[in-house]
Amino acid sequence: MNSAHQKLWFLLPAIVAVLAPSPAAAQETDQGYPATGPISGYMDFHFNKADGENGVLDFHRFVLILNHGFSPRLRFVGELELEHAFVEGLEEGGELELEQAYIDFLLSRAMNVRAGMLLMPVGIINERHEPPVFNGVERPFVDTVIVPSTWFDVGAGVHGELGAGWRYRAYVVAPLNALEFTAEEGIRGGRQKGSEANVRNVAYTARVEYRGIRALTLGASMWAGEGSFVAPRLDTGVTVGEFDARFRRNRLELRWQFAQVEIADAVRLNDVLSRTSGVSPNIARTLRGFYSEAAYRLWNAGPPRDLVAFARYENFDTQFRMPEGLVPLKQFDRDAWVTGVTYYPDPDIAVKADYVYLRNRSGLFPNRHLVNLGLGWWF
Amino acid sequence: MSARALFAAIVLLLLVSAPGAAPTQGQTPRVVEITAERFEFWPSEITVAEGEAVELRIRSDDTMHGFRIVGAGTNVLVPKRGKGYAVARFTGSRPGRYTFECNRMCGAGHNFMRGVLVVGAAGADAP
Ligand SMILES: [Cu+2]
Repeated sequence: MNSAHQKLWFLLPAIVAVLAPSPAAAQETDQGYPATGPISGYMDFHFNKADGENGVLDFHRFVLILNHGFSPRLRFVGELELEHAFVEGLEEGGELELEQAYIDFLLSRAMNVRAGMLLMPVGIINERHEPPVFNGVERPFVDTVIVPSTWFDVGAGVHGELGAGWRYRAYVVAPLNALEFTAEEGIRGGRQKGSEANVRNVAYTARVEYRGIRALTLGASMWAGEGSFVAPRLDTGVTVGEFDARFRRNRLELRWQFAQVEIADAVRLNDVLSRTSGVSPNIARTLRGFYSEAAYRLWNAGPPRDLVAFARYENFDTQFRMPEGLVPLKQFDRDAWVTGVTYYPDPDIAVKADYVYLRNRSGLFPNRHLVNLGLGWWF
Repeated sequence: MSARALFAAIVLLLLVSAPGAAPTQGQTPRVVEITAERFEFWPSEITVAEGEAVELRIRSDDTMHGFRIVGAGTNVLVPKRGKGYAVARFTGSRPGRYTFECNRMCGAGHNFMRGVLVVGAAGADAP
């Protein structure tokens, strides 16, 4: 908390400087429209209420996106996010994060170079996370504890379109810090977030997408790297594999995603961590999650008459397969039903309400009922 | 009908029906519907015959996007979902590959929003 505040004060002059209108941003297109606004972004405001607990009001995300074209082929994009007092997978406290800040060298359709702070191209949500583009107040659980969105780090790589509906991106990035893995949230705590990231090893990540058929997007992603920075050399290999599909036609939208994380040499990782902390962290060797979502536009007349109803089933287990000698904690073998509505008074404003029934396989921990309300907007 | 008149009529007919003839003023361009959404255009590859005129109608499925054809002087704003569509006219006067892109910041993957107009049996990228 203390360090977060210090970081915030340090960055305040930068935010003020960024908010001030800059002459460089005032370029105009042929038509006299601003080519790019000097600033855009999104905000996300939530009310979360779990049964038997007090409700929580949370200004979850305040994100500013900056972009600048040095030339038509040379562009900068930055995304600065203030996350405040969020309660998500039991994590608490505010954060100020630089989620993206990269330069794109647009060379050709098939190959472009990108370097800086990058979003990992894994899953539906990580690169496509503006509040009006997904249903539900909170992001899917699978995109939180299996794919640790928002997942970003420093790196460089290439992206492009290969024609016939295929596109790809492939980056070399800073690895995860395996010492911060947990039983409950998997690899989430291991994100270095480009903060003086240790790169004794590097990681590789890539995604291919197929968009050759109208209304359908198919994607496959991978992430692989070794990372751990403890005195006895312990290079824990982590591999993430992911598949997803999105279909939308007229009033219907369907989403499906599957993600699996493999942690190599989890025996040694648990061993080292329990020797340093005195408690076994019970980190699994395989984590797995998937979800299916169906959404239907009840009103389809365009704003302000746009209303979407949705239902999502999620299954996620951060203790799916355990290394030898460890027993899975069944409270982390979870599934959830999320149902709700999204109302759009404008295509860029999403008023959301949902109900979550979160179950776990342990007899010792109660299942939870949550009600969430959210207001998110893009500008 | 004299031979000369017949010849003139044939020449005229050939001229009018000849493929690749420059589009006349009254010719209605072919309409191509494009959908824009975060972070892609569909279709992202559009083939135009050499000399053919097309009217691109770009409709957004979410927020406001831009549509700019690089090097062609075309740059329009695509209105938000439910608020109509943008129109951009394009004539494939020279063979080549013409990149188009979103020119209004629309989110994290904005720079991925690109596509190409392929004119003729095009090879090299148009300038
Ligand atoms: Cu766009």
